[in-house]
Amino acid sequence: MRATAMTHAWRAGLRRGAIELRHFARNGKETAGHLFNVVIALGVAAYISEDVPGTRTPMADLVLSGFAAYLLFQIGLVNLPQILVTEREEGALLRLRATPGGIPAYLVAKCLLVVVVAAGNIALLLASAALVVDGPLPRDPVDWLTLLWVTTLGLLSVVPLGAAIGAVLPNPREALALIMLPTMGLLFISGAVFPITSLPEPVQRVAALFPLKWIAQGLRSALLPDSARAAEAAGAWELPMVALVLSVWAVLGFLLAVPLLRRAARRESGSRLSARQHKAAQNGAAPA
Amino acid sequence: MTPRSPDAGDVVRARAVTMSYGGVDVLHGIDLDIRRGEVFALLGPNGAGKTTTVEILEGFRRRSAGEVQVLGADPEHGDDAWRARIGLVLQSWRDHRRWQVGELLTHFASYYPDPRDPAALLSLVGLAEQAGQQVERLSGGQRRRLDVALGIVGRPELLFLDEPTTGFDPQARYDFHTLVERLAGEEGVTVLLTTHDLAEAERLADRIAMLVGGRIRACGTPAELARRAAARAEVRWTADDGTARHERTADPSRLVWELHRQAEGPIPGLEVRRPTLEDTYLHMVRREADGAESAVPEEATAV
Repeated sequence: MRATAMTHAWRAGLRRGAIELRHFARNGKETAGHLFNVVIALGVAAYISEDVPGTRTPMADLVLSGFAAYLLFQIGLVNLPQILVTEREEGALLRLRATPGGIPAYLVAKCLLVVVVAAGNIALLLASAALVVDGPLPRDPVDWLTLLWVTTLGLLSVVPLGAAIGAVLPNPREALALIMLPTMGLLFISGAVFPITSLPEPVQRVAALFPLKWIAQGLRSALLPDSARAAEAAGAWELPMVALVLSVWAVLGFLLAVPLLRRAARRESGSRLSARQHKAAQNGAAPA
Repeated sequence: MTPRSPDAGDVVRARAVTMSYGGVDVLHGIDLDIRRGEVFALLGPNGAGKTTTVEILEGFRRRSAGEVQVLGADPEHGDDAWRARIGLVLQSWRDHRRWQVGELLTHFASYYPDPRDPAALLSLVGLAEQAGQQVERLSGGQRRRLDVALGIVGRPELLFLDEPTTGFDPQARYDFHTLVERLAGEEGVTVLLTTHDLAEAERLADRIAMLVGGRIRACGTPAELARRAAARAEVRWTADDGTARHERTADPSRLVWELHRQAEGPIPGLEVRRPTLEDTYLHMVRREADGAESAVPEEATAV
């Protein structure tokens, strides 16, 4: 009985995810947003011509690895919370809560959406960079494997956290403002777009607390030649540390996300929904 | 009037349900019995506790105290099988805007063990032509009808309708009422309707409960409630000298008879106005507003 309910939720979730992906692909604005990121990365990479200081690795390769890391980071911590907040506000979460097996199916669908969009983003960035600006690709199976696990673990380190944020944040407009600033800040202090060693020591230490620096470092280890290690803070790729920090964030995220999502779903009711919509309308915004 | 299935019993049974938020009591001991196959309307002004009551029954809110059984289970512990027997139509839903109408209904049908046929259901709610349209392109009335379709796609035994016809034009309202009557009459669905619209309650409901100030002040058939109004019938007529006259009386038939005898013929402008549901309602609401301190109203526990 329990097993059938599980299969049922999985099937409904996968169907739902497939439909959401189709809508995502058809939505010009959203796809354009993701394409825009890739185009920016290619533009920056084409513009830079020098090497990473102290190495013979093109700076462009470092920047492209950093952008790849940032794409994962953004999908987990910006796009996902925004989707969650919007759907909560519109009442999708409430409708699924009122539907048998709706919430598990919703989570399955969101996971599918995030994984496919993230994989698509990374693949598109690396493939187009390789074709257009002679961007980096893993050189051997070990590097491919590193790319795979760093991407997977990187996603795991930000997605539950993003889900937790999406469960807590008030409304889509405020959500964007609240998330964008720290995310952009981390992009600059994490050594994603220029060598981390060019940043002051205290800033490096702050960046080392957050997953972005470690995703970027892990991706560099998969995409850049080993000689580029010279530009790393530790002079090494520190892959065990990458795995450790990202795992800690993943666990932390799950510990936060499960109760917060449960609370968000439990708190949903018709009156709260209409109260928020009323408030949004009063603030002069069109009802979401 | 409404056919009862053989297992006729209470679909909703609530006893002494109270609710307080941060020390403020919102519900002061609600008793409710809703029978299988009946359309039950919950009337009351804003802030009376209607929404809180309904959300407790839907399992979306925890009561502070009291006993609740909905379809034989405590809504606080309702599982998926229980959920599948309940349908919900809320007024604030704006979700799944990018989905196509038919796609959305087919998807939600797939969550239920024995769903209705989505295509037939779209025809039933008059959206067959919109099946391929995006949800966000529907008009307000169409959107609500889609919500109704989503609410009944799983063949619920109990359907909650939250102010379902707000913003409907008269034709849409009429169609909607016909649909609800059909669901209740032909399929034996129990309906709990919350509304501000007294005419709607009077037309649809087998029984009505009036919730004022967190208490059920009256409960009965629309006719019973109208009679319960302290208000007497009003008789209006035009006197011989051409002036308009009116008089309130408990026995309008006698007054009219006497008038006829005096006039020895037809009476111009004669009109008898029976107390209406609205009279009862306004009476209850005003009494609450005037003297909330009169703690034990005589009709508080009427069921």
